[in-house]
Parts: sequence; structure tokens; C-alpha cells
Amino acid sequence: MLAFLLRRIAVMLLTALCLTFVVFFLTNLQPNLEKLAKAEGNSRMTDAEVTSFLETRGYARNVFVKYGEWLGVLPGFVIEQPDGSVRGRCFERADSVPPDAPAFCGVLQGDWGYSSVFRDDVGSIVATRLGLTAKLMFWVMVVMVPSALILGVLAGMREGSRTDRSLSTVSILSTATPEYVSGVILIAVFASSAVGLRWFKGTAASAMENATLENFLLPVVTIALYGTGYIARMTRASMAEVMTQQYIRTARLKGVRFRDIVLKHALRNALIAPFTVIMLQFPWLLNGVVIVETLFNYKGFGWTLVQAAGNNDIELLLAVSVVSVFVVLVTQLISDIGYVYLNPRISVA
Amino acid sequence: MSDTAPDRIHPAARMHAEEYRAGQIDRREFLTRATCLGVASTVAYGMIGLDAPALAQTATQDGGSLRIQMEVRALKDPRITDWPQIANIYRGWLEYLSEYQRDGSIRPMLLESWEVSDDARTYTLKLRPGITWSNGDALTAEHVAHNFRRWCDRTVEGNSMASRMGDMVDPETDQIREGVLEVVDDTTLRLNLASPDIAIIANVADYPGAVVHPSYDGSDPANGDMIGTGPFRLESHEVGVKSVLRRREDFDWWGKEAEGFGGASLDEIVYLDYGSDPAAWLAALESDEVDMLYESVGEFIEIMDSLDLVKSEAVTASTICIRANQEAEVDGQKPYADVRVRKALQMAMDNNVLLELGYSGLGVTAENHHVCPIHPDYAEVDNPVVYDPEGAMALLEEAGFADFEHELISIDDDWRKNTTDAAAALLRDAGIKVRRTVLPGNTFWNDWAKFPFSSTNWNQRPLGVQVLALAYRSGEAWNETAYASPEFDAKLAEAMGIASAEERKVVMKELEQMLIDDGVIIQPYWRSLFRHYKQGVTGAEVHPLYEIPTYQLGFAAT
Repeated sequence: MLAFLLRRIAVMLLTALCLTFVVFFLTNLQPNLEKLAKAEGNSRMTDAEVTSFLETRGYARNVFVKYGEWLGVLPGFVIEQPDGSVRGRCFERADSVPPDAPAFCGVLQGDWGYSSVFRDDVGSIVATRLGLTAKLMFWVMVVMVPSALILGVLAGMREGSRTDRSLSTVSILSTATPEYVSGVILIAVFASSAVGLRWFKGTAASAMENATLENFLLPVVTIALYGTGYIARMTRASMAEVMTQQYIRTARLKGVRFRDIVLKHALRNALIAPFTVIMLQFPWLLNGVVIVETLFNYKGFGWTLVQAAGNNDIELLLAVSVVSVFVVLVTQLISDIGYVYLNPRISVA
Repeated sequence: MSDTAPDRIHPAARMHAEEYRAGQIDRREFLTRATCLGVASTVAYGMIGLDAPALAQTATQDGGSLRIQMEVRALKDPRITDWPQIANIYRGWLEYLSEYQRDGSIRPMLLESWEVSDDARTYTLKLRPGITWSNGDALTAEHVAHNFRRWCDRTVEGNSMASRMGDMVDPETDQIREGVLEVVDDTTLRLNLASPDIAIIANVADYPGAVVHPSYDGSDPANGDMIGTGPFRLESHEVGVKSVLRRREDFDWWGKEAEGFGGASLDEIVYLDYGSDPAAWLAALESDEVDMLYESVGEFIEIMDSLDLVKSEAVTASTICIRANQEAEVDGQKPYADVRVRKALQMAMDNNVLLELGYSGLGVTAENHHVCPIHPDYAEVDNPVVYDPEGAMALLEEAGFADFEHELISIDDDWRKNTTDAAAALLRDAGIKVRRTVLPGNTFWNDWAKFPFSSTNWNQRPLGVQVLALAYRSGEAWNETAYASPEFDAKLAEAMGIASAEERKVVMKELEQMLIDDGVIIQPYWRSLFRHYKQGVTGAEVHPLYEIPTYQLGFAAT
């Protein structure tokens, strides 16, 4: 078990290293740096001004050296400015290098860098935004998992029945509707004066501070709808399969009540497959919220990713990638370990 | 300067009065438009020969918190600011020497008055007495001189004020020229220019021209409490999310007593970012999360009209130019170097159609010369462009470009894309081959001035000459047409030396005609800006330069 865990963690570190280098390389391509300079300086700067901007701020150097500095294995740059002052990676612009400035300041030293769009430390931005998305995901899970499981079990216990057909239609419909469609429809019906119901709010901006049913229900439902249908389909398939097993038939022949068969004999075995699917929903949610967060103006992790990518915010994008790798691999790890407990026939060691 | 007289009536209002007399618009519409243009309602009634009804003055209540939908961008040193939204935030605590008003006139703000010599080479700026900074220092002429030095520093990357200071910058040192600044006494500053410049007062009113304290070092204004002369301070600033301004307590703001100013009645102003999708802005209004929009656009204007909101309109000199770059090479030839090709493109355009299809008719048609009727120096041209698709094709055949396929590039957005699409359709109607390319915003602006044939939006500048100097003078950085006419440059230099707008009109007329005859641009219409806000919000009318004068905002007393 320990060896398995260690192997998984090593894979995770290696993946993070490769992915961040790819992101780093792409964000450091010349056109992207020009874009960064124009966003930081003035959007109508001349080419000469862009060049001098990039040189004085340490962008115009070898990409491997810059990546090493970001990692914290190479000392941060110090560049003298045209007016005699110095700029460095590890300190603010000053007349001379401050004596207490560290030589290394990268991820290894716990310094995630500085976001050029938000003008703040990357660490604190990611923490705040991840917290907001966690709040959204928590409520999505609360709505999605129980409703999906109930739908799936009800549909799967009598395969081919009228309940099965109608519930399956509902789940296929909801999983076939992407968020950008269902979100717009929900807003139009429940939040705008176009239909006139106006029961809920079409924006979740105020939910960041104070989430209420009124301002938070629509984004939660929009995300949950898609996942509900998907998990319900998986649960139904798994349930239907279990219901054809020999031991279920034996139980029925022995005269056990149908209700007891479903709850006591079939349910636990039917939940193994949906468990993996639910775990896989976490990484999907983390990135799937991009659309919903943008649509509802909820400024969480997905929205941060859009802003960072749109503005070529190098260090923020890197941190976002690291977090994403971490979430994907950790949830996979949990689902692997969880499998062992749900199904004694499987072992990871 | 004649164009700063306080009783100046907006030329567009006069135009609307003519329309009223001709029966083209009704009384109500005239009054809305005229007062939207900043004409006092009593004066507006007078313009169409009616007596103004007695109106109760709306009093403002003291206090309150106003929520405004606006993009919240990272703040920058004012002189390198590139978006009016950024300036609208530091407008809370930084102020300007002069203020561009909604009707196109300019009034003194931190200045009390100014005098310009007849040759437009000596400016005497008188500071308003009794202005103090938030740290207690008095504002002096030396502080203003310091700001002029900052504005003229061309070594700072992206310093957009340097391009507005023109001749004051020494090309050798890239700093202010020796001897320009002359501090006469504590409240008087004299500018001695080497060559005439009529646009200085207008230029320092522009949004990067905020006056900063001498101790300011160019760092991010959101760090710490930045010293300013204005009534608010920055409470918090979260890029992309929100920015909060709070009124400074225990601060004696000069504007309280100054005639024509006053206000600063709000306790708090909150700017909230709802992204760039107008549907989200509408949702924010409907959900009662904001009281006022930054701008209402496109089809949403109609939807918002149906809600219980106040609508305000500003006729502006903001526009779109569909232009050919005369130096651009396409497949080894320079198609747009030939004036016949450019004229043909111009003649194939029906500006009314472009306005209707491109901007839902929310504006006024223009005459392809980039000087707007609201500019004080606008003059009507004698030979405007006539819509003639057959003539256009004939000209192209004559030039040998009948089979040439034009690639028309535009940015990917709402009105600019639509207008350019309509232009392409008109060209096809005339039998001209055209291919459309739509680029996303971040790649479009990297090369905007170099595209062979594309559309660009231009914001308003206070004077007609300013736009011409910025965009059509030979070799200018923003000259996207690569128009290089020594004759035009000489005339323009002459116009730049005439301080009176009335006298300048004569030269302007020739300049406008040159732009038309040389087929430099297709400039179909002037945009009107719209803004919706809730009943009871005061001082929130939309400004042609998108300025939000924070001190004017308030809530009507109930």
C-alpha cells in the first residue's frame, strides 16, 4: 500500500513538472510576451517600447533559466534599469539590491510568484478562488449525488419498465444538454423579465459573499443537471446488471421483499461503478465550472483560469495547472483506494 | 478660448432644433436630446421658442452607497493609463486641471482660469486658490509644473501623455524642453511653447492627465492610500471583481464651495465587474445588484428601455473607420496605393446602411472625413462622397483591380464586426470581391495599424484637429492609413496654429475635403453612447468620453 502511494505521488510530481514546463514554454513565446507587455504597460505601445519593457523586467532571457528561477533551483535575476535603479525577481524595484532579499525565490521556496493581471500574490489568489469554487462544488455535490443515485437506482431496479424508460429519458436529456445551453435557458425562464417569473437571480456575483437560495440556486442546478444525468445513467447500468445476478434471483425465490432486495442486497454492489464516476466528477467540475462561473459571474477557479489564460498571466497559469494536476491525481488516488474497500476482490498492493 | 465659453450651446443641439422645426422630431425628443447634450432645459425650450415649465430642482440626499457596473482593471500610473475605466476609479481621489463636459465644452477644474496668447504659444495657467492635498499640503504651481515634467517624460514606456504634449517634449532628451515651464508665483504657471499648440487645455482634461502629488513614484495606485485632491479614497481594489471608493472624512474638499461643482454626497461608490457580456449587465440590473451601468449597448438598449430605468444619451465623436493601408503589400503589389481603388471602396458604401445594420441606427451618419459636428471646428464640406456602386466598379476596372479579392479584417465583437460585415455586403453588392476575416481582440490589436484593409474604432477627441493630427499626419505612430500628403501636413500645421475655432473652420474645410478626395477612409457614422440607471440616481448621465465624475454622483432626496 505504501509503495503504491509513493509511486502515485512520484507520478504526480513528474506530471506536474512536465505540464508546468509545457505551460511555461507556451506562455513565454514571443507573441505572448508582447501581449503581456501591452497589457501591463500600455495597449498602444510601440515595438521599441515593448522590447525595452521585456528586457528591463527579465522576460527576454533563456526559457530554461526562467523556468529554473520559477522552480527555485536557479537564483532570481537582478537587472539594472536605464535610470540606475535595479529590478529583481525576489524584491521590489529599488536603488540597490536590498541586503535581506533572498537569492532564490521559486515554488520550492514556497513563493508562487506574482500575478500580472490581479496584481497580487498568486498563492493568495488561488486560495481565495479555490475556496469559492469549493463552495460551489460542495452544493453541486449535495444536489447532484443523491438525486443521481436515486434516479439511477429507481430506473435500474426494474430494467425496461415504464419508470426506467421515463427516468432514462430525463437523464439522457439532462446529460445531453451542455451547461451553456441549460444555463441560458434557466436564466431566461427563472430570472429575466422575458418570461417574467423572476424567482431567482441571473447572476451569482453576490453569492461570493453571501450565498442564498435566490442567488445561488441557478448556477448550482446548471452544473448539477449535467452530472446528474451522467451519474444516473452509470448507476442505472450498474444496478440493472446487479439485478440479473444469481444471488438476487435466489433471494427473490426465497420470498424476500423487493424493497429489501434492492436496499440490502443490490445497492452496495451497484454503487461501485458510480463511485468512480463521482470521483471523476471532481476534476471535471474544477474545469467544467469555467462556463458556469463566467455565465453567472461567479469569480471562482474557472473564472481565474479564463482571466489568466486571456491575459497571459504566466505565474498564475502555472499555479492553476499545478492545482489541476493535484486535484485530478488525488481524486483518482481516492477512487482507487475506495475501490479496495467497496470491493474486497480488488487489491492495489 | 472661444470654445470654452460657458453659455456655448452644443452644435448638435442646434442641429436637433433644426430637425424639430422641420418636423422630423417631436418636442419631447428634441428636449431629451438637447438636454442630453447638456443644454439647460430652460435654454432648450428657448431654442424652439417655448417657455420652460417651472421645474422643481432635484435635491440630493447626503450619504448612500452607489453600485456601478464597470470593468475593474488593474490600476496604473495615470500617465500610462490606457482605459477610461481605470481612470474612473482614481477619479475619486485624483483630479484634473480642466474638465471635459458632456456637451463638448471644457471648464477649469483645479485651474481657476487660463489665458492663451493670440499666437497660441504662451499659456498662463491660474490655479484655483485653497486646494489642498489629502495629506494637508497646499496645491502649488510647482506641483503642476512637476506634473508637466512627468507628462513630457518619453522614456517611460507607454506614457500616453507624452504624445499629447507635442512640442513641449525635447526630442533630444525625451524630457520636457528647457524653458517651457515658468513658475510665476505660487498659483500661476506659464508655459512657453516653441510652436503654437491649441489643444493643451483639452489634452490635460483627457483621462491620463490626472494631477498627482510630487511624492508619487509611479507605483500601483492601489498600494496604500495615494495622496490626491479629490473627495474619495480607495478602500479596496480587487481586479476583475470590485473596487470600493469611500468618502474621506475630516477632509475639506475644495469642490464643496466652488461654484458649479459641489456634490460628493455619497459615502461609498462600489464598482462591480460583470465581465464583457451585456446579458450579465442586464442580469445584474434585474437582480438589483447594481444601480447604474457603465454603458448600454446594442439590442440591450431596447430591452432596458422596457424596464423602469432612466436612459441617457450622448452624441459623440466616437466612430469606426474602415480604412485601407496605402503602403500595405498584398501578393507583391500595393493595391491601396492607387487613389482610384480607395475612392471605389468609398463610393460603394452607403453610410446609412452601415449605421442601420452595424449599429442599429443608434447614431448619426458621418461624411468620411473624421471631423464630427460636435467638434467646435467642424465645417460642412462642399463635395461629399456620393453612393454610387456602378461608378465604383467602373473605377476599379479602370485601375485594373476589378478581379482583385479584398480581405476585410475586423475585431470579433458586436458593433465593429456587424458594421464591417455590412461593409463587405455592400462591396459584394457593387460586384467587388471581398473576403471577411474576424480576429479575436488580443491578436487584433497587435497589428491593428498594419492590416491592408480593416476596420478600427476611434474614440472621441475634443478638437477636430487633434484627430487629424493623431491619425492622418505623415509618419504618426497611429497613422493606420499610411496617408502621407505634404500638402495635408502643411494645412494641418496651419490649422494647429489658429486658436479660435471659428477661424480654424476655414482651413478645416479644406482638410476634410482632402481626406474625402484622397479616399483615405470610409467613416460611416458617429456613435451615440447610452447608459441606463435606476430612478433616483443623480449625476449619472453618460459622458461622451465615458468619464464618470465621481463627485457628481448621488441619490435624489426623497
